[in-house]
Order: sequence, then structure tokens, then C-alpha cells
Amino acid sequence: MIIENKAMKKYLMLMIFILWLVMPAAAFAGLPLDTVKGHADQVLDVLRDPSLKGEAAKKTKKEKLRAISEKMFDFTELSKRTLAQNWNKLNPAQQQEFTELYKTILGDAYNDKILAYTDEKITFSKEVPLTEKTVEVRSSVLRKTSEVPIYYRVILKDGSWKVYDVVVEGVSLSSNYRSQFKEILANKPPESLIETLRKKAGK
Amino acid sequence: MNISKIETIKNNRSLKIILLGFILLLCPAYLLADTPEAVPDNPAKSESPATPVVPLIHSAPDEVAQNPPASTPVEGGPERETTEGRMIVGDSGISESYDDEGPQIQDPFAPTNKVMFNFNDKLYFRVLKPVAQGYSRLPEDLRVIFSNIYDNLWAPSRILNNLMQLRLKAAGNELIRFAANTFIGVGGIGDAGKDVFGIHKQEADFGQTLGRYGLDHGFYLVLPLFGPSSLRDGVGLVGDRFMHPLTYVSSSDLTFWQAAGISAHEVVNDASFKIGDYESFKDAAIDPYVSMRDAFVQNRKKKVDESKHQ
Repeated sequence: MIIENKAMKKYLMLMIFILWLVMPAAAFAGLPLDTVKGHADQVLDVLRDPSLKGEAAKKTKKEKLRAISEKMFDFTELSKRTLAQNWNKLNPAQQQEFTELYKTILGDAYNDKILAYTDEKITFSKEVPLTEKTVEVRSSVLRKTSEVPIYYRVILKDGSWKVYDVVVEGVSLSSNYRSQFKEILANKPPESLIETLRKKAGK
Repeated sequence: MNISKIETIKNNRSLKIILLGFILLLCPAYLLADTPEAVPDNPAKSESPATPVVPLIHSAPDEVAQNPPASTPVEGGPERETTEGRMIVGDSGISESYDDEGPQIQDPFAPTNKVMFNFNDKLYFRVLKPVAQGYSRLPEDLRVIFSNIYDNLWAPSRILNNLMQLRLKAAGNELIRFAANTFIGVGGIGDAGKDVFGIHKQEADFGQTLGRYGLDHGFYLVLPLFGPSSLRDGVGLVGDRFMHPLTYVSSSDLTFWQAAGISAHEVVNDASFKIGDYESFKDAAIDPYVSMRDAFVQNRKKKVDESKHQ
């Protein structure tokens, strides 16, 4: 009996070990929808925090939002996809500065918008696989007289799902900036694009 | 000088008959659509990325030709032919694919369009925004009622366009919604269609219908007051106006200025819910003109893609 049990135990351990081996890394990263929703919930928690009321707490709120966005987004991936084939026209130092400036500009533009958020309802509906490593998480924001579909495109990186693009009413953030940057890069060197961004970011 | 821009259709009766005919046509269509084999309830194809959102790798021998000549800010042209995907070959030789080219539009009238863009921009900040801000002191519930009434008046356009796009179920849903909102919701005061029957709005417009049948934008147009549009969608706006009930109210009942006043109120009422949207769009943009043009094309592409499913 005991021997049998031992054999069983061994067998079970082996099974668990094999299972652990074959289980895709994605399983550990959690589901894309849950990841995005989790971050969105964190943002809502900050916005609804009663201890962070009024103008004085605005700075604290922005700091917290920034910290969440760092976890939520993959800004390098977003930058690469935004510049697409123009990415390689930038040298590594320029690439790094571009990413930082882009992040600042997006943060400045959207934090105010998010802070103005009142009581709109957000629902997460589903996830749609795009490629092997990318998934689209679909949500919609219910406003007073309209519904705005917001899709987050996430990529599996280092064991977690990170947002690399946001699509609002069919308008992809990265594509939209790409069209703007492309016009600048068509006529000017990368340095002048970065200079434009520096001005915009107020640095 | 009381020019009636809104055409008085003398043959009001014949038009009513045509409309009635359409509605009668629609009823059996809806019954048909409700059967699962006619229209799948939850069409999987519309959910699966039918159009590759992140396109696969394409070799890009014309990568250099890809960049438009330095002088022209005009997009489209020869670029329109290129595929959406681009290949990036890194220093390491590892290639990665990113979706590069989004939908494009030709903009041969960029100079005049930019003038119109600036005109609309000033119009917003100097007129529409202050008026809408003052107006938004009215109770929100009242403004929502107005919004519902105006929205209900666009229902005939949505019904007909859904029908023309062969989205029979959507057309049927809009018809039920229209009936419910008009009769139960008393002229559209409440969204009874949603509250009672759980039917959501099924957007459809004539520009989308034209796109559904393969008509391209033609070129980009910034219209005064209406904002970003194109040759196709401008025609679409006119088409939709012809499907709007107020167009068929005779000028003896509603003068041009009264009709214009109603339209102006619709615009202000709508804007009162969206104060801040345009500002944050502009704040986020590096080049607002290009950003808006691109957003317009992307958004319209989505609408046209959607009209091909369901």
C-alpha cells in the first residue's frame, strides 16, 4: 500500500512538473482583460479617493496616475510602433529621448482629461486575439448621451500584458501620432522632431 | 428675403407614400432577420479581426519611395497603393513587423482646408463653446431630453441606411426603437427603445452606405461648421438631411430661420455634453490639422468596415 502510494506521489509530482513546463507563460501573466481592467480600477480608485479632493491634491493624483501608467503601458513599444520604419532613423540616444518626451506629452494631455472624469461608467466586454503575442481588450465608456468604445492593445512582455496602443472609436493613438510625425520627418532630420517634442513637453 | 433652403416638397403625399412603402418593406425584413440563419445573432466574423489590424510582414522594396516628397504635405497619391504592413529591419538583422500605414486620404485642397480648419477652431472657441457653457446651466435632465428628441429625428436616416447596407437586423432594431421612442417615449423624450426593449442605437449614415459599396472618400474636405469630411461623406451629409423629417415640413409651417434655429439648438445642446473634448484633442496633438484628418479617416474606415458585417 505504502509503496503504491509513494509511486502515486511520484507520478503526481511528475505530472505537476510536466504541466508546469507546458503551461504557457501567458497563464502566469494573467488574462489580458483582467490586467487592463485592474489598472483601470486602480486609476478609478485614485480618482474617487475622498482624501484626494480639491485642487491641492491634484498634484498627488497626477503622481499616482503616472505611477500606474508606468505599470500599465509599454512606452518603448508604443514609441517603436508610432515611428514604425522611422524608428531606425533615430540613434539609440534619440530613441530614448523620444520615448521619454512622448510619454510626457501623452501624460500631460490625458491626465487632465482623466482628472475631469466624473461619473461615466466603464465596462470591459471582451478580448480579441490579434497575433500570437498581442490581444485587443475592448471596453466602452458610457457618457450621458453617447457610448465611446475604447480598445486597449496589449503585448505580452516579461510575463505581463502591457498596453502598446489605445484605439478610441476606431482611431489608433499610435497611427494618429505616426501621421503627424511622418510629415515632420519627411522634410526634416530626427533631431528637429525631437526639438518639436521638447517644446511641446515644455522641456 | 425668406429663402427656403429646406426644400418644400410640393408632393408631400407621394413622399409619405414612399416612406410608408419603405417601412412596410422593412417589417417582413425584420422578421426574416430574426431567424438565426438569415443573420447570426452574434456574428463571429465581426468580432474576429476580419481586416488584419496588425498586418503581417510585407517586404518593403519601396520603402524609400514610401516617404512623400519633401514639398508636398499631401498624403495619398502613389502611397495609397502600398500595403498596410511594413518591415523594420533592425541593426541586428532581426525584422519586426508593425502596422505602419493606416488608411490614407488625398488632400489636394490642403490650403483651403487649413483655412476652414482655423475658421472652425475660432468658431468653436469664440462662439460655440461660450454659448454651450452658458447653455449647460440648464438642468442636465432637460438637455438629455432634447438630445433624445433630436436623436430620434435621425432615426429614419439610420433605418434607411441600415436597410441600404443590408443590415436588416439593425434596420429592424432601429425601426422598433423609432416606434417605441416616438409613441411610448412621446416623440423621443425618453429612450424607451433602450429602457423598455433593451435595444441600443444602430448608427448608420449615408456616407457609410456609399463606402459600403466601395465608394472611396475622393478627397479630404473641411466643411465650415460641420468639420472634417470628404467628397463622399459631404454627399452623405446631404443624403442624410434628405432622410430627416424636418426637411419635409413645408415652409409655411416652418420658416427657414426657424428650421435653422432648431438645427443650431441641436448643435449647442450636443456641444453642451462635450465641452472639453476638442480642447483635449488639440492639447494632445503635435499638428492638430494632420491629427484631425487622420482621426477622421481612421474613424470612417471603422464605420465602413462595420457596415459590411452583421
